[in-house]
Amino acid sequence: MSHANPHGQVLDIYPAGAADSHAHHGHTIISGTTLIMVLSALLFFTLLTVGASYAEAWLADLLNIVIPQWINVLVALSIAVVKTALVVLFFMGLKYDNPLNGMIFIFTIVTVACFLGFTLVDLGNRGSIDRIKGTYVTPGGSGGIKTPGGATTEGPITQWAKTGAANAAASGAHGTDTHLETQTDTHAELHDDGVPHASSPEASRPVHGVTLPGFAPPPAAPKDPAEGEPHTPEPAPQHPSKPGNPDGH
Amino acid sequence: MATIDTHQHGAPSTGPSTGFDSRPYHERYKAASHFRDREHEFDAVKMGVWLFLSTEVLLFSGMFVAYAVLRFLHPEAFVNGSHYLDRIPGLANTIVLLLSSYTIASAVRNAQLGQFGKLKLNLLITNLCAIAFLLIKFIFEYGPKIAQGKLPGKLFHYPGAHDPSEPLWWGIYWAATGIHATHVIGGIIMISWLLVRANKRHFGPTHYTAIEGVALYWHIVDIVWIFLFPLLYLIH
Repeated sequence: MSHANPHGQVLDIYPAGAADSHAHHGHTIISGTTLIMVLSALLFFTLLTVGASYAEAWLADLLNIVIPQWINVLVALSIAVVKTALVVLFFMGLKYDNPLNGMIFIFTIVTVACFLGFTLVDLGNRGSIDRIKGTYVTPGGSGGIKTPGGATTEGPITQWAKTGAANAAASGAHGTDTHLETQTDTHAELHDDGVPHASSPEASRPVHGVTLPGFAPPPAAPKDPAEGEPHTPEPAPQHPSKPGNPDGH
Repeated sequence: MATIDTHQHGAPSTGPSTGFDSRPYHERYKAASHFRDREHEFDAVKMGVWLFLSTEVLLFSGMFVAYAVLRFLHPEAFVNGSHYLDRIPGLANTIVLLLSSYTIASAVRNAQLGQFGKLKLNLLITNLCAIAFLLIKFIFEYGPKIAQGKLPGKLFHYPGAHDPSEPLWWGIYWAATGIHATHVIGGIIMISWLLVRANKRHFGPTHYTAIEGVALYWHIVDIVWIFLFPLLYLIH
């Protein structure tokens, strides 16, 4: 009684402005059923992407193969894009919205694609240019670093952390202090030839297994200056895994 | 109820000319003077929010580009890095955020239909989901990682690393999830503001601009997590 507005589907935000002919263009009320269905789809795709991640790891372990990283990336990001489309179209209502807002969004996506695309094209093709220049992109990560204590480490900070933990273990072998947990962790990882048995949140596990023939990387093509044939540019994501996917770790 | 309430103060209300408007806030709301009408204001505000969201996407895209570059240069470190993360809290957080996205989309619908009770309930659930997200994040992820020294740059002192570049992974992890968590905190503040105003019956079918804007922001926060989750937790 107090509210003149009926629970209708067309929402007039400005009842007094009847002269305003465009007043009815927006304000679609998205039905509750649609919202529930979109939520269900989003949850389904979430479980799907997690399931795919487990399935890939399980398959790789079972067959003792290395699944190329770009397959991981492709599966995970495709599902993420579908989920994003659902959120943007229905939850954010872009499907029913003023097209101008859609243009803003698409413009943003194109800009992001430029950022990513040009960066990866650059990185992925440095091998062919640096060969001419005579230098290569070096992965880095091996330099010293100023520790919180103030000293500059000799090698990588990870090595510094290892020796620090080992020293602490040696000096206070029977001490029951807070470092104990990390020490056992370290020993478990280091004394097992550096390869933990299974991947877990507490242990990084280097990839091992056989790379399938179809996915085998060409042998060190960009690194070899003697090779005359120019290195053909290839899709960016699979490139970096070549030096880093050794069979024996 | 609002009408009864205002009638007490409204004295002999003889229409708008007396200067006192007995209608509820969302009906008597007038657009700011530089807008033609409420419709004009709503459209302008919404487009402004979309422009802001565009800058938000660009902010996070910087992080995604950094992720791509570092992953490209240090593939081993990033493979190891994703193994450090537990998929279960990540999955729980994804579900919590998707639920909150649904509830705030429903809140917009409730405001459009004038369902004031459901509006408040949905806003409340959204806020509880946001708080749950932060709790899961801090209890199951940030806390243990800080304790173990899995930190970026020179703060790193975790002894179990295999690859010398792993501190870079932690740099991306902390920067990306940290900025995202900051956005979640911002969302909690804004949704609380909506709750206070919804409690005062500020929103209704004729005026719900603020809910629409905050909802759009909250969906973008959700979308960023939709990408962060597979990139950090699932790709290995």
